[in-house]
Amino acid sequence: MNAKDVNPATGPRILVIEDEPTIIEFLRTGLGYEGYQVTIAPDGRTGFDLAGHQSFDLIILDLMLPDMDGFDVCRKLRERGNETPIIMLTARQEVADRVTGLNLGADDYITKPFSFDELVARIRALLRRQGKHPEQSILSVGDMVLNAETHEVSRAGEPITLTPTEFALLELFMRHPRRVFTRETLLNRVWGYDYAGDANVVDVHISHLREKIRDKPPRLIQTIYGVGYALHPEDDA
Amino acid sequence: MKRWRNLSLRVRLTLLYVGLLALLLAVLGGVLYWDFQNFLLESTATRLRAQAKPIIDEASAAAAPLEHAQTLARDLTSRETVALIIGPDGETVAVGKTLPEEPAPPPPDPAYDARALAGENEVTYVAQMNGQRYLVLLIPWRSAPGSPDILGVIQLSTPLAPIENILLRQKLMLGLGMMLTLLAGLAGGLWLTSSALKPLNQMTETCERIAEGDLSQRVNLPEREDEIGRLAQAFDHMVARLEAAFAAQRRFVANAAHELRTPLTAIRGSLEVLMRGAQDDPAATSRLTQGMYREVVRLSRLSEQLLDLSRIGAGATIHKQPIDLQAFFDDFLYQARLLARDRTVTLDAGDPVTILADPDALMEMLFNLMDNAVQHTAENGIITLGWRTTPESVQLWVADDGEGIPADDLPRIFEPFYRGDSSRSRRQGGSGLGLALVQALVEAHGGRITVESQPGQGARFTITLPLTMRDVDPLEKIG
Repeated sequence: MNAKDVNPATGPRILVIEDEPTIIEFLRTGLGYEGYQVTIAPDGRTGFDLAGHQSFDLIILDLMLPDMDGFDVCRKLRERGNETPIIMLTARQEVADRVTGLNLGADDYITKPFSFDELVARIRALLRRQGKHPEQSILSVGDMVLNAETHEVSRAGEPITLTPTEFALLELFMRHPRRVFTRETLLNRVWGYDYAGDANVVDVHISHLREKIRDKPPRLIQTIYGVGYALHPEDDA
Repeated sequence: MKRWRNLSLRVRLTLLYVGLLALLLAVLGGVLYWDFQNFLLESTATRLRAQAKPIIDEASAAAAPLEHAQTLARDLTSRETVALIIGPDGETVAVGKTLPEEPAPPPPDPAYDARALAGENEVTYVAQMNGQRYLVLLIPWRSAPGSPDILGVIQLSTPLAPIENILLRQKLMLGLGMMLTLLAGLAGGLWLTSSALKPLNQMTETCERIAEGDLSQRVNLPEREDEIGRLAQAFDHMVARLEAAFAAQRRFVANAAHELRTPLTAIRGSLEVLMRGAQDDPAATSRLTQGMYREVVRLSRLSEQLLDLSRIGAGATIHKQPIDLQAFFDDFLYQARLLARDRTVTLDAGDPVTILADPDALMEMLFNLMDNAVQHTAENGIITLGWRTTPESVQLWVADDGEGIPADDLPRIFEPFYRGDSSRSRRQGGSGLGLALVQALVEAHGGRITVESQPGQGARFTITLPLTMRDVDPLEKIG
């Protein structure tokens, strides 16, 4: 749906079994932006049926559901031999619940109110464990190569030294080629949600980054006037 | 006195008990001993007199009896008794003692002799001689039985040593018995007070454990119907009630926190997603913002109701004033119809009546019941409001023709945060506090709320408020 940056037909498929409309909305939007294909089931019965008919890479399961609670859904899925990784969402914090969930075959557990970043991190970790995560650690655009694990960047074989902020900016652009990022979004994702500084700091760091990667027109990192920045591979028309 | 009060109850009760027992035994022993001593002396005296009588009578019968005084004295003397005959002038006329083994007579006592000479028949006294005690009997010697003519006085005496031996043995036995009884009393008293007070100690220990925070503790005395048993039962009952109240409190807080989590999760998640980039897409921004607005409204309603509930719970004052129900419902109907949207709202008005109630509270009760009815009624459903009066009370009701309430849920629907069908009311923004709030308000007015429902056939909530005489405007009644 809103996944402009990845091919919606290839991202990992996630089934969200949740009954709260607002939570559904942000999960659908947020996970879509992260490149996942999101399917929603508003109650346990629907979720259980969907999981039986389609194949998913991961299930996000709320514990409090109208008809069948999350424990039941989890247990029945496992009884039927469905091994899709499950992350349970619950408002309860009791250790007993946690243990029950994990015993029933849930793979992870996250307590409301949770941070969306944390949920995404857990989804990534689970998918990586399953070998299904599409996120590569070595990204390349044209003659530029970035290794997310070693934090090394090179262009045309020549290593480039970047500050952590510059590196994070470049990685974000390279992971989402062609996606336009506003200054605000870049600030939130690279500097953090609680960064209170001026948005001009983005322009300064982008200009440093361009210098270091010798980004001459036609530029790799383009300025979209009035909006923000986007990375366009050289082979784009 | 202070030291006495500092002693344990067990020691005090035992000391008191043993003290009383000792006093009782001493009095009883003293009386018994005195009585027994008298009995011994009297029986000895009676026996001696009885033995002496025929001998004296025989001697009196002889001619010139005084001449035979020596013989009489001799006849009256034995190994345990010695006789002395005293003439009318107080001089000793004859002494019975001749053999050494016969006891020596104590010297005559003129004061007693004078009484016997004056005709007193039974003069008995105890005399002391050489450290020995003697029982002395004086018998007037009459010329014939019953004759006022007194020839002299016959003094019979016997040593008290044998009697004193018996009394000594008696004294020892009494003393020993008293000691044994006191010891047994002491042991018994200690045991009795200990066993009676043991449950108190048990209760103290339980109290201390409860004070440390463990409300699950109970005294749990074995079944007993005495005062302490009743105290322990009352105590256990009280702790059980406290424990239940605390558990309810904890449950309430946990539920409240739980209810806060869901909207908070939605708001936090939506904000994060917006900041991560969804803000760059106007359509996504609008959807997420609307969702957050709904959640914020839900949070404010929840916090308001929580506050209301705690205010009523803390005994907030209800400002009662006369309310004309007809006018009140006319006003309320307008709001109720706004709330009900496409549902039909009808009013089944009763007799005109003025009640004493807090108008804001009454409004809130009916509003919450109305809200509840709307949530559980189909779009084209019918909701009926109305009231009826009886001489003592007024009943107000809100009835719907919605999905009804399963029998299992009926007893619990007034509990805070209880939701029969959790999804339905939650999706529609119910906080789970509405009915609890209504109940609290009704009870603050001294009334009660009841519910009747059959699944599939709607539900009817009835508020019964007491109608005291002064609640009714007299003019209204006449009219």
